[in-house]
Amino acid sequence: MRFRTLVDNIPTFFRVIQSIEKLQKRCYIKFTETNMQIICNHDSNEGGIQVWSQIKVSSLFSDYRIQSTANNEIIMRVSPEALVSALRSAAPNVTGSGGTGGNVGSIETDEVIMKLAKKNDQAVLSFEIKGFSGSGRRVRLTQDVRVDVEKIEALKLNEPMCPEPDIRDIVSPPLVKLRTIVDRMKGMADFLTFRANHSGHMKLEISSDMVRVETEWKSLSAPNMNNLASQDQDQETEKDPDKFFSVVVSIRSFLKFLSSHVISSTTIACICQNHCLILYVYIGDVADAGGVLTYYVPAIIEDD
Amino acid sequence: MSQDESQPILQASLHDLRYFTTLLRGVHFPNIGVQRAVIKVTEKGLVVIVEEARSLLGTSYIFADVFNEWNYHPDISSNDQEQENEEQTPLQEQFHTIAFEIPLSTLIECLNIFGTAGGFGSTKSANKVRLRRTGEDSDDNNDDDANRSTGRSSRSTGRTLEHFFGGSDRTTSMRMTYIGPGYPLTLIIAEDSAGPTTTCEISTSDSEEHLDLPFDNDQMVLRIILKSSWLRDALSELDPSCEKITFIGNPPVVPDSNATAKQKMKARLEGKPIFRLEATGTFGSTEMDYPDDKEVLESFECVQPVRFSYRLALIARAARALQSSIKTSLRIDNEGLLSLQFLMPSPTSRHNARADNATSNFIEYRCLAIDED
Repeated sequence: MRFRTLVDNIPTFFRVIQSIEKLQKRCYIKFTETNMQIICNHDSNEGGIQVWSQIKVSSLFSDYRIQSTANNEIIMRVSPEALVSALRSAAPNVTGSGGTGGNVGSIETDEVIMKLAKKNDQAVLSFEIKGFSGSGRRVRLTQDVRVDVEKIEALKLNEPMCPEPDIRDIVSPPLVKLRTIVDRMKGMADFLTFRANHSGHMKLEISSDMVRVETEWKSLSAPNMNNLASQDQDQETEKDPDKFFSVVVSIRSFLKFLSSHVISSTTIACICQNHCLILYVYIGDVADAGGVLTYYVPAIIEDD
Repeated sequence: MSQDESQPILQASLHDLRYFTTLLRGVHFPNIGVQRAVIKVTEKGLVVIVEEARSLLGTSYIFADVFNEWNYHPDISSNDQEQENEEQTPLQEQFHTIAFEIPLSTLIECLNIFGTAGGFGSTKSANKVRLRRTGEDSDDNNDDDANRSTGRSSRSTGRTLEHFFGGSDRTTSMRMTYIGPGYPLTLIIAEDSAGPTTTCEISTSDSEEHLDLPFDNDQMVLRIILKSSWLRDALSELDPSCEKITFIGNPPVVPDSNATAKQKMKARLEGKPIFRLEATGTFGSTEMDYPDDKEVLESFECVQPVRFSYRLALIARAARALQSSIKTSLRIDNEGLLSLQFLMPSPTSRHNARADNATSNFIEYRCLAIDED
């Protein structure tokens, strides 16, 4: 089993890991010949939110070499928190959320190598960071993140099955703005109703005994309305474009998804009524996406 | 009668909700969960009343001219039983008052839904978003720009006012409606016409009897007017662990007209302080004296030696109002009732958009002294 690569795009790698950091203590990362896949599917994380992501190797890495007996795929369990701190020392200038700005006076990175190694009988993902110190001297820094290499077959990882979405592909407003609003709503209620229709309206609503708050966006674009396969389009046109579909989710889960605002790119939302909310956070431009993080936020079924 | 046909009791709007929010924050006590406030509406404006521990009363007076639009239609013709009592009191004839109770913390959170209400002590994330927003504004090459310019033209009145305000920040506007008793207070908040709109319905309840601490000027024993910063700096020096704060006042010594400058200085140093703040805590005590100087105490009236103590935790509630105010009037009556009136900066003083007959908004705190036996 061999794995070694140069990390070209430290900032993006850092932000991707940062946006799933709060989700759960340990997540899976699967490296294949073409993709890096991050999976957070733990049942125990609050609200049952899951993330499945596909990131093209070429958008983050170069000189990428992977070999294993399992179809040249390696899957490992890792603590995203540890990974974030390792990457932070490699990317001191990444300004992320939560005031984790760059550490002043840290090194200017020249080259970062990530490889799978074994140290003291423990598998580690080792980051070799080469660069220059503030005074111009060459520095070499190694950060080891402990990992557990797993057997793929034994894990039985299955992406959630969802019915055909009732609302597909509405382009979400900037996540930073959503986060401000949902942050305020968090103090007022536990559940959030996410509504959208086929004509680009989206509503976030909370209500309690004391207050009902609803924020509405109009004229958001829904790209798939245009470039759907033709038979789908026929179905779409039969639907009432003004009919709203909704899903109730836990505010705290939704806020966890919103920590992906650090990636600050296009986000597309789909609603499976009474089932879940699916959010696609694209890395880079949608048309030429270097990858996508898919968040599944399960619906809270209210018992009446 | 049917409420639906009649006009709402109150309809008010603002182009920029920041000033209004500041006036509300002055009587908001954070970190105590849901804080309820009584709101009284009259033709002249809003009065927001809060209380704590049956010994502190905070009142924010927000005059109608703070709002860009103010329509108040008390339901005088109503034969509602609830209102009958009120109408029969002769005092109510001139200014018909409507009162209701709302969760103040919720109202403030709603006003700050876009993180744009500004003001002191807004949460960290709000500040950060504001920074990001100004950053966005400076690089005008995003496609958001097109939307913004349309927003500007369609709301030209708001924009011109905003130019007077001189800020480069985009402002958040608000419309507030209260149909009548039993109806929620409805707010519609929009950042700009191209952006999202938030509708908030905050449930109201009948106002219960609130604390009343009348201050009788005839019984007044100490009255000081000073720049708010002089009081703010002093209070911020105190260790929050102190239980109580004591206000001490002494009538000023009339200097002997024949005395030399040196003698005067000596008399001043030896004499009792005319105004002293004293606080004692676990780690020691603090004493702060104010000099008998017009520069510091703009006006000072003290008829007899005064010494009253208050719970520091209660006095500290006024900190935010003090922070945003210009001048403070401090009065104490012979029973120890303390009145702190904070004069708020006028919304028009800096930008003189509506300079004529603007009334000054102010926030008042009244606090009962600790019984010291």
